[in-house]
Amino acid sequence: MASIPSSSSSPSPSQPKARKKPGQTTSPPPPPQTKWRTGTQERLYSRRLVDALQATRDRAQPPESVGSRAVKEAADSALAMTARGQSRWSRAILFNRNSCRKRVLVKAGGKIRRHRRKHQAIPPAMEGAGATSGVLKERKVKERLKKLGRIVPGCKKLPAATLLEEAADYVAALEMQVRTMRVLAEALSAAAVSVPEEEEMEIAEQGS
Amino acid sequence: MSSRRSRSRRSSNSSRITEEQIVELVSKLQDLLPEARSRTSDSASASMVLQDTCNYIRDLQQEVDDLSERLTDLLATTDMTSAQAAIIRSLLM
Repeated sequence: MASIPSSSSSPSPSQPKARKKPGQTTSPPPPPQTKWRTGTQERLYSRRLVDALQATRDRAQPPESVGSRAVKEAADSALAMTARGQSRWSRAILFNRNSCRKRVLVKAGGKIRRHRRKHQAIPPAMEGAGATSGVLKERKVKERLKKLGRIVPGCKKLPAATLLEEAADYVAALEMQVRTMRVLAEALSAAAVSVPEEEEMEIAEQGS
Repeated sequence: MSSRRSRSRRSSNSSRITEEQIVELVSKLQDLLPEARSRTSDSASASMVLQDTCNYIRDLQQEVDDLSERLTDLLATTDMTSAQAAIIRSLLM
């Protein structure tokens, strides 16, 4: 179950649509860059972002003082929703937004995760404490894995393989978020520039 | 893989299976990183890839912060309805 399902529901004929089966872990998911770079995803996200920003602005107290943190949270929530809850980090973002009671949710999430681990055919990597073989049990690698787990939301205690998958998906999603927000900012600033220009032109016409 | 699973030692067994997987995942992650595209080495150490990933994610999050600050300022000054047309136009291009 922990493997990322092979396709989002956006219509992209190049991606095969394989259904999730419990116990089947070898279905190859599309690489994150493919998944997050389709035009459909970008448009979906941008529309969601605009809606979220508008909602944030309306919800803000009348002086229209929207904090940048509120904007960032709205953007992250929109991103998590575009992921359709298929990845742990997106679920973690959405759960943490909706409730302050983190402990309850973490416990519930932990229970669900433990239950789902039984369906996995491949045991998690961190279980075997005695194994010294391989590059992965080096102290450096373990430290960095831990660090990565702290950065990616909701991935503090994941086994290495799952954490790497989540990180790859998160990186691709963040890239899309940055791209979209930049496009939005450019569009808004262009719109903002054009309006004062029109005013200047009117004033110039009246003057001459 | 099934022949390896039939071995008796459970701990080394599980680490061998997952190590292959993990090496593959690390290389997949490496492909996503911008530094990896300039380098042509495909045997980058896992710790370096992880370090680069952490830094890259942090940079991306920082960019998101900066962009949201910028958007906050823009939102305060622009009227949403007139801007929406501009947005939709630019997004559909």
